[in-house]
Amino acid sequence: MVAVEEERMLRLAEQCLERAKSFMGKSTAPLDVSISSSSSPGQSRPHQTAVLPSTSPKKSGHRRVLSDGGGEPSPFLPPEIFQKLQTVESQDTSKRELTPIEQASRLNQKLKANYEARLARLTPGQAYQKTSLTLSLQRQMMENLIIAKARQDALQRKMEERRLRLQEEANRRFAASGAMTAEDQEQRSLYTNVLEYEQDHDWPKLWKAKIKENPDNVTLVPHLVSYLLSQSDHPLVKLLKKHQASRSSHNLLHLVLFICLCEKSVDHTETQRKPTRTVSSSGQSFSTDSSLSHDLHVNYDEDDVEDVEEANPQVTVDRENSFEDLEQFLTQLDWAPPHISTDDTTSDLETKCDHLMLDESHVQELEMRALKEHLKAVVKDIHIALDQLLSLCLLSFECLNTASSKDLCLASIEEAFFMPLWSALLALFRKVNREREQAFEASMKLYRDASPEDVGVTSKLFPQEPCLQGSYPYESAVQELKLILKDCCPQRKLECIVRTLRQICVCAEEYRCLHESNSTPTTAAIGADDLLPILSFVALRSQCPQLVSECAALEEFIHEGYLIGEEGYCLTSMQSALAYVESLHTGGTHLPAQTLI
Amino acid sequence: MAAGGSGGNSGRTYSFKVVLLGEGCVGKTSLVLRYCENKFNDKHITTLQASFLTKKLNITGKRVNLAIWDTAGQERFHALGPIYYRDSNGAILVYDITDEDSFQKVKNWVKELRKMLGNEICLCIVGNKIDLDKDRHVSVEEAESYAESVGAKHYHTSAKLNKGIEELFLDLCKRMMETAQAEERLKGNGASQSASGRRGVQIVDDEPQATPAGGCCSSG
Repeated sequence: MVAVEEERMLRLAEQCLERAKSFMGKSTAPLDVSISSSSSPGQSRPHQTAVLPSTSPKKSGHRRVLSDGGGEPSPFLPPEIFQKLQTVESQDTSKRELTPIEQASRLNQKLKANYEARLARLTPGQAYQKTSLTLSLQRQMMENLIIAKARQDALQRKMEERRLRLQEEANRRFAASGAMTAEDQEQRSLYTNVLEYEQDHDWPKLWKAKIKENPDNVTLVPHLVSYLLSQSDHPLVKLLKKHQASRSSHNLLHLVLFICLCEKSVDHTETQRKPTRTVSSSGQSFSTDSSLSHDLHVNYDEDDVEDVEEANPQVTVDRENSFEDLEQFLTQLDWAPPHISTDDTTSDLETKCDHLMLDESHVQELEMRALKEHLKAVVKDIHIALDQLLSLCLLSFECLNTASSKDLCLASIEEAFFMPLWSALLALFRKVNREREQAFEASMKLYRDASPEDVGVTSKLFPQEPCLQGSYPYESAVQELKLILKDCCPQRKLECIVRTLRQICVCAEEYRCLHESNSTPTTAAIGADDLLPILSFVALRSQCPQLVSECAALEEFIHEGYLIGEEGYCLTSMQSALAYVESLHTGGTHLPAQTLI
Repeated sequence: MAAGGSGGNSGRTYSFKVVLLGEGCVGKTSLVLRYCENKFNDKHITTLQASFLTKKLNITGKRVNLAIWDTAGQERFHALGPIYYRDSNGAILVYDITDEDSFQKVKNWVKELRKMLGNEICLCIVGNKIDLDKDRHVSVEEAESYAESVGAKHYHTSAKLNKGIEELFLDLCKRMMETAQAEERLKGNGASQSASGRRGVQIVDDEPQATPAGGCCSSG
């Protein structure tokens, strides 16, 4: 009796094992059921759940399971199904985390391996135990799958609800700011994107935790921001790219505006029945512009503009706007009294192109005014863009919202922002500051071989006897200053100016010691009275008129926190020295200080 | 004329910019060096030597960061003064009591500063080199009454003897703090923080109601 019972149990166990094996190799058809909805044909899961609880160690239950048999969904999902699953849930492709069904399958595979190992250890006489093991394996695997399916469904629902919830969260976050402006709205939607991104990616959480653990470690902040900026699908990076694209199109717009202005002013003069000028003559007047406009044409050839416009409809829109602006601008001018400037900058310009008629210099004046307006708008846009980027960054990582971290954060963002833009931006600044650069160049030529004494450096602060061959006083500072052209971000350029001034102080100290070696030390350290003449000398020797525009641009983009500190002081001193150099060729009679204020 | 206060909260720090004006040989460099390093003649001072100096102070429990900007006294750099003293909270105008001309220069600067910065800037007129009183060419009465007439305070110092310098800066700091606080009250409880800032980054700084539930994926 017992033997018969044992035999039966053994057979049962064998059947179970067989079935389990057959599941493994089974076709994918019944498996899809487990992924798709429960309304699939054949064995719907609710039915099975009804059956399974009864398959507890009761013998009667065993039979029922057996008789029930057939194509239940396999507890294991073959790899190809996994792939299918993952592609179906495309929103999870970037996610490292496994879906509940995947997790369940992994778990089931482990269970199976475990089961097989235990089965192998069993002696043939333990058939009953074998059966119960098999059954409990089946039950566990089934349960795992069912739970996984339920979780998967719940997850799906949650994903749908998530966007809504995040939207609300963003709304709450911004509710404090009172009335909604368009910018707030934009910021809000950007923040929603960030929240969404953070749900799909783990690294922001990890970084936040890291910073929380080491609040005093300032080196973490630049690392975080540079990591953030390397994540091309992060909303912040997308925003950055968007701003950069619009900035470069802005610069193209500038050129377009420039060209229209030529044509427009021709029309303008004709309708006024003034001496007519041909388009070619106006073209000539612009081609006589200094080398600066050539720079610009190298960067943005007219053909290039056409190409880009064809490729990018955005620019065309801008162009239309520029026409409107221009129209408005010109109508204003119609009512303005004839604009004949008496300041010496104009006379300077006139002597340079005295073959041109008065209204041509008038056109140039118009051009300059338009350029200045444009530059102002560009600068403002850049500030707005940077503000937006910074606040989004701080919203994304609240841990960065401390005074010191914020500065570091902004520095990193600025660097990424300006890197591709600086050369185009500088071209614009150079165009606007053309006259100042020309003045600088004139002084530079006049004072090519000047000694420090010629620009007012006290004799104590440079060596009297000629230096080593080919070198001159303060050469190391001049070399340092020249490096400013190589950097592409305001912050770095500013640091370069600071280094230059420090180097000047080092040199001055050295030279003074040379003088005082034979006498008792008398004077105190170097103050502004000494510094400015030396700095002027260094600027002269650097032979880069471009410095004028570089500093003008830095002035616009210097970080507010630096205005009052060493950086601000150095930039201010540099500006003063440059202005002094500009005035040198006129005998120092007038300083263009007004242009700096 | 930024109030110079960073943030408007409890542990606040005032940041003040002070420009140093004065003709070539009045001793403004020595004066400021004395104050910042208490060393009259030192070889290694700061990276920018005496042209730009900073000093951290604690006045009645408030932290104050002072940035002292030296300016060039030479005539040919005068036109560039404005870019130095814009946004200054205070100005120290130094003359040499043995040099009548240097006092006249101070008068010119006062006019200029008032024109450019109005009454928000705290002016200090400093008669330096009181150790050379026997050669005095600017009378105490004249200097003090002039200072009073332009709303400035007058101080007598000697960089050489280290006299009156500490008092000068402490007094200036207190006055700048008062000005900043008055300005703050005018603005109304610091509600508008970024009044003068070119770039008013305003971050809504309230506590988040709830941090995004740390992963609904793992909850079941």
